[in-house]
Amino acid sequence: MIAGIIYKRALSDIRQNLTNQAMTILVVTLSMLLLLFFALFSFNLRHFVEELGSKLGIVVYLKKEVPQESIPALYKRISELKGIESVNYTSSEDAFRKLKKYLADEQQVLEGVDATFLPPSFEIQIDRAVFNIERIREVAAELSTWKEVSKVQYGQEWIDRLEVFSGLTQRALVGAGLLLLITTAFVVANTIKLTTYARQDELEILRLVGATNMFIAGPFLLEAFFQGLAGSLLATVIVYATTQYLQSLLSQHPLFKEVELVFLPLSYTAGIIGGSIIVCITGTAISMRRFLKL
Amino acid sequence: MKYIDSAIVKLTDVSKRYTVENLALHRVSLEVQKGEFIFLTGPSGSGKSTLLKLLFCAERPTEGTIRVDGMDISTLTPSQIPMLRRRVGVIFQDFKLLGRHTVFDNVALSLEVLGLKTSQVEKRVREIVANVGLIGKLEQKAIELSGGEQQRVAIARAVVNRPPIILADEPTGNLDRDRTNEVMELMEELNARGTTIIFATHDEKLFENTHRRVVRLENGRLVK
Repeated sequence: MIAGIIYKRALSDIRQNLTNQAMTILVVTLSMLLLLFFALFSFNLRHFVEELGSKLGIVVYLKKEVPQESIPALYKRISELKGIESVNYTSSEDAFRKLKKYLADEQQVLEGVDATFLPPSFEIQIDRAVFNIERIREVAAELSTWKEVSKVQYGQEWIDRLEVFSGLTQRALVGAGLLLLITTAFVVANTIKLTTYARQDELEILRLVGATNMFIAGPFLLEAFFQGLAGSLLATVIVYATTQYLQSLLSQHPLFKEVELVFLPLSYTAGIIGGSIIVCITGTAISMRRFLKL
Repeated sequence: MKYIDSAIVKLTDVSKRYTVENLALHRVSLEVQKGEFIFLTGPSGSGKSTLLKLLFCAERPTEGTIRVDGMDISTLTPSQIPMLRRRVGVIFQDFKLLGRHTVFDNVALSLEVLGLKTSQVEKRVREIVANVGLIGKLEQKAIELSGGEQQRVAIARAVVNRPPIILADEPTGNLDRDRTNEVMELMEELNARGTTIIFATHDEKLFENTHRRVVRLENGRLVK
């Protein structure tokens, strides 16, 4: 019964203090917008690095003395490695043909060169579902220990550089995110403190008629829940719409046609919405504490 | 915590000191019997309001013990204070109403904190508001009412949960003679139904022809 009354009081408070409610929701929305845009940038950078890495794949060069009969067995061994999407074999002759085609008008440089001078190789693509840079490294490291393998290439330098950059932005995101959440908690706590000051008489009357702390604070905490939810949902919608708009702009531009801008996954947005609710409730609880002293 | 005693309110050697220089009450001992109606009088600053505040735990005594309706106030924990306040109705000179809320909402507050069902709240609020003669103004905002009407709403809020004790702190201080008489009649009615009333006032006209006990405070000391 008390829960029902608290709910009713919260709704009535929201209706009667629409300006204050809107102000708090605006503060939450702006803070969450900053956080979401930063998360979006970081996530897309990570996504870009992974996309690039998965396109690069791994090339395994075999020793020339590896007999042709052992190729099917090698193919099978590679295919059975964890997280491998596809394996393509290129014989020395195929590699030579590809090179000739690539050189086109300048293929005369290959005249007199033995068609088997290039080593046979396997081109490996890592399964995109389990793709991560660490997995590429692991697979490459394992393959390079095989006695049939002479060299393993996987665009290591590119990936390493991008990974360092991506890692830095991830750390910056966590740091900035924490700062933003603390700032939000502080701003929300102060906004709520101001509204609580404005309603001091009401709190005094409630205490006077024997309301418990839960009865007094309950509606405020419920309002904080709504504020956190509404503010973060609004910010999520704005960021989603912006992402869609930017994506449509990028797809029209010939230079960025291939760039795919992706919205944050559900776990990110759920985390940010949940965090926003927790921050608002915590901010309210902190600012209410002194008013609940008898 | 409960104990058997004929006095519903009992103060023993109670002192209240706000600062080193400001001693609001000095060794006050007072017993009020169940069903009694007493006037607490004295000039401004004599300690009347402080004494009432001690009785509903808005302040704590510096020394001495206070028992209200079987509860030893000096040992009450903060979480027990709401229970005491549900047993003590308080009426103030400045009414302390929620101005933007209706008469119904203001009176219902005392019952909502008890967790009563909506139907019960509605029934009891209507009854008490009819008793104080404001049933026609149930949905009107408190701020739109006259001073006398607001005080009647405050009285209704204080008594709607049927507390055994009413503390009235200068409840007629802002009212003219006719409205004062209305409030006094309501108080007499409540007392006739068995409610103990401690009525603080500096207006001697209110008790000059009464048979009620009059307790006088001066400079924080009980003199009569």
